[in-house]
Amino acid sequence: MTYHFGRGRSRWLPYLLLLPGVIAYFVIALGPSMATTVYSFTDATGLPGAPVNWVGLDNYDEFLFLGQAARDNLNAVGRTLVFCFFVTTIQFTLGLLVAIILNQKLRGRNFFRTLYFMPVILGAVIQGLIWSLFLYPLGGPLAKFLAVFGARSEFLGAQPTEAFAWVIVVQIWANMGTTMIIFLAGLQTISKEYYEAASSDGANRWQVFANVTWPLLTPSVNTNLLLNVIGSLQAWQLFLVLLGYRNGTQVLGYLIYATGFGQTSGSVTSSFRQGYAAAASIIMFILVLVIGMSVQYVLRRREARILE
Amino acid sequence: MRKTVLLSVVALLVLSVALIQPAVAQTTTLRVLVHQNPPMVEFMEAFNQQFQERHPEIVVDMSVVNAGDLSTVTQTRLSANDIDVIDMFGFSNAAQPYMTDVDPPNWQQLIDAGLLMDITDQPFVANYDDATIRDAGTYNDKVYQINLGRVSYSGIFYNQDLFTANNVIVPTTWSELVQACETFVAANIPCMTAGGKDGWPIFVGAYGLIGSLYADQAGLVEGLWTGTITWNDEKALEMWSRMQIYTRDMIESGASGIAGDAAPGRFASGAVAMFPGGTWYAPAIESAEPEFEWGYIPFPGSENAEDNQYLFGKYDQGWAVAANTPNAEAAMTYLAEFSAPENYQLFVNAVGFIPTQPTAQLDTHLGEEVAPYLANFRVGYEQYWVAPRGVGQYANPWASYFQPFGTFDDPQALADTVQADLQSGLDVAGS
Amino acid sequence: MNTTSSEALRLRNGIDWGRIGSYAFLVLLAIVYLGPLLMLVNTSLKTTPSFMRDATGLAVEPNFENFAEAWEKANFPQYLFNSVLYTVSATLIYVLTAVFVAFPIARGYVKYSGALLLLFVIALFLPPALIPQFQLILRLGLYNNPIGYILLFIVNPIGIVILVNYIKSVPKELDEAAALDGCGYFRFVWSIVLPLIRPAVATVVVMHAIGIWNEIILPTIYLTNKDYYPITRGLIVFQGVYGSDWPVLAAAVLMLTLPMVILFLFLQRYIVSGLTAGSVKG
Repeated sequence: MTYHFGRGRSRWLPYLLLLPGVIAYFVIALGPSMATTVYSFTDATGLPGAPVNWVGLDNYDEFLFLGQAARDNLNAVGRTLVFCFFVTTIQFTLGLLVAIILNQKLRGRNFFRTLYFMPVILGAVIQGLIWSLFLYPLGGPLAKFLAVFGARSEFLGAQPTEAFAWVIVVQIWANMGTTMIIFLAGLQTISKEYYEAASSDGANRWQVFANVTWPLLTPSVNTNLLLNVIGSLQAWQLFLVLLGYRNGTQVLGYLIYATGFGQTSGSVTSSFRQGYAAAASIIMFILVLVIGMSVQYVLRRREARILE
Repeated sequence: MRKTVLLSVVALLVLSVALIQPAVAQTTTLRVLVHQNPPMVEFMEAFNQQFQERHPEIVVDMSVVNAGDLSTVTQTRLSANDIDVIDMFGFSNAAQPYMTDVDPPNWQQLIDAGLLMDITDQPFVANYDDATIRDAGTYNDKVYQINLGRVSYSGIFYNQDLFTANNVIVPTTWSELVQACETFVAANIPCMTAGGKDGWPIFVGAYGLIGSLYADQAGLVEGLWTGTITWNDEKALEMWSRMQIYTRDMIESGASGIAGDAAPGRFASGAVAMFPGGTWYAPAIESAEPEFEWGYIPFPGSENAEDNQYLFGKYDQGWAVAANTPNAEAAMTYLAEFSAPENYQLFVNAVGFIPTQPTAQLDTHLGEEVAPYLANFRVGYEQYWVAPRGVGQYANPWASYFQPFGTFDDPQALADTVQADLQSGLDVAGS
Repeated sequence: MNTTSSEALRLRNGIDWGRIGSYAFLVLLAIVYLGPLLMLVNTSLKTTPSFMRDATGLAVEPNFENFAEAWEKANFPQYLFNSVLYTVSATLIYVLTAVFVAFPIARGYVKYSGALLLLFVIALFLPPALIPQFQLILRLGLYNNPIGYILLFIVNPIGIVILVNYIKSVPKELDEAAALDGCGYFRFVWSIVLPLIRPAVATVVVMHAIGIWNEIILPTIYLTNKDYYPITRGLIVFQGVYGSDWPVLAAAVLMLTLPMVILFLFLQRYIVSGLTAGSVKG
């Protein structure tokens, strides 16, 4: 692409101004993550003075292939994918719909925007508390509501599949606000003229959306899809605060948290196992990378096609 | 214009960051790390105040972290040489010779890495009873921790009024417990509640059942490791059948959605007859309903009343000292003063632990209730257990595997699953 | 959907069904959002014993003392200042650097901008590296130091990705025109691009600031001097290993979220200002 601003030394200005952000990124984010990769091939405990031995692929072998634990780990991977699929599709669609509606001149739209964004501000511990209360099976609000129809549920304490579904609900509830504001920001880039032209052509709502809004919203669509996919693949906090360590509900992110903070299955006598925890997080990194990059690849091709 | 404003704001912020420097200490600053447990922290603040008045040359700087972060923060602060006195949960079993290829528990890793100070020769160690020092503070014949209190998790809180009103005797055997529940349920009173949403209160509630069937908990662990005991042998099957009755018939329906925090309040409201749970729930029950009358008994898991007289539990909080502390002397003064019987008694009063100093008394209602069983306190199975690598997620004697908390409804099928999941780890360890 | 088009549709239909449907949808969704949030308000107004007895029952006699207790016990006056300090300075530094990273990458004004963008996208997937990062800060001598703590928050790949994607919708012809007028690179980005990408910048600011504001693990690990504690660190007073003081915690959380709600209310004007749509003819 052509650079328009100045010649000679001032050609270097973009590089100079880019540098602080890139250096910070290399030092603070990339460096420690590379170290994690190195850790994953060792039996490091993370304690000062403790010996560290190179163990090659042992940690990976243990996570993927050792005993019944490997079966549980792979099940968690499957569950992570299911979680990702439902959260991404619902949160994306809902966020888009809400953003489009709230981009209109509506009475009270500031209220609705703020309300839908509120959970993002609260953080996971409080999200967990208030949903536990909301879903309290003995006389909580939703239990009372269901009782009107003669129905009942244990909600978060129900069988694994139902409990898991509730985490999906809370995850979407908690993060839809972010999707919404990214779409709202994106909608501002679409010039009114397009809409005026479309409506003077007699296009109906759906046609306006399909021919104007959707293609011109491509950058925000890309951002949101990527963020939703990654966010749901890495999710763990809500599993911790809503369900705790329950068989049949764990996802990969939660297993890694439990390993890193020494709260794994079977034993209260937890150990410092930084090496193993690092290997588990590298496995997750690879999973998220593969899925995320495929999404990114499809999106880029679509973007190129639309912007042509 | 706007740029200038923005830049000066940044400059101002950087400046104020530089300005909030800590007060320079001319005295010794003793850095103490504790986990968050409100009554304990409140006591420690008062104690620190008193300690500093007596020792003006020492300033106590106590940090409080959430219990879940304690081991991570212990690790980082030891790395940074930024800690002197560390709060640490009681030592459980070290990795035993018959346990092959396991990761030692984190306290053992800390000692092996040379990070904890040997306090064997400190005079204050003698203030604590021998069993405590041996079980919860000693490794390779050296003392590294003084433990401050036990908690029991194998008991049942019961509602005295409901027992009297329904003419139910306090159960001392399994049949009596079953009978009691049947009576309550017939009278439309849920028998037991528990915080089932968090999972662990259900299986911890049944630890007493395991304890009354397997009195020798350390032996149980060795037996499981060496294969002389399996989770699907005849005795275990009896345990599983009773656990199923416990989860299916005794615990009220809906309990699987009750959060752990809410269960003591539910019990104190008087709606249910019993509440299997740890001694740590007593303050919550009392704060919810001060007038409420309750008792605490060991879980009667066996048909033989003799077997049901033990309380199983664990050692809770203790003190250890960083090996590389530059303030060793101040740290020892601090622990010595804390361990003085009059101070320790105040600590027990505040926190409600079952005391580990022989002269101290637990002067609360809970103290009265557990007094008859104190001589029979035993460290629970899960404190000894170190899982082999590769075990599956069902490798534990947990009642919460049964419906409605889990997915199983057949004791035999569950027993076989549990043993298979355990065996897969043992096979790995053996090869 | 845009104002103009919906007005056009209303004219054609007589009754604006779209508007009615929109409201119905918003209100339905609002119930799902309000329900759990009201549980928080309700909890904050209960006394601890009444919460213990009946967690979900309505607080019939509101107990406002929780707020006073939370304010004092969590040391709000002092820690709030630290939180503001960390959040504002880290967010400012971050957003300033991020804009100058995102703009040339989006435009391809630096070599390998495709590869650079890829690096930042990959950074989205990176696992948290708690212990190595700790070792780094420790060796830099910035452990237990506000500057070291702020450094942890000057990187956030999400913001870069949002900004890059957004800048792509700013027409390139602007660059050309500005350069012809003799506008320098810095001045162009600062005074022309920045106002145009306000919605994205505001979004990034809100997301980044909330992240710092709510952080609890990092201050626990990196800041051991009480003078440096942010307010989240103060809140753990109400949590306990054997049960938490939820009503006071809920009151504290409500107070804690207030500054972020205000920030959001303030910035959402920029997020939906529509300035760009008006001033840029694509």
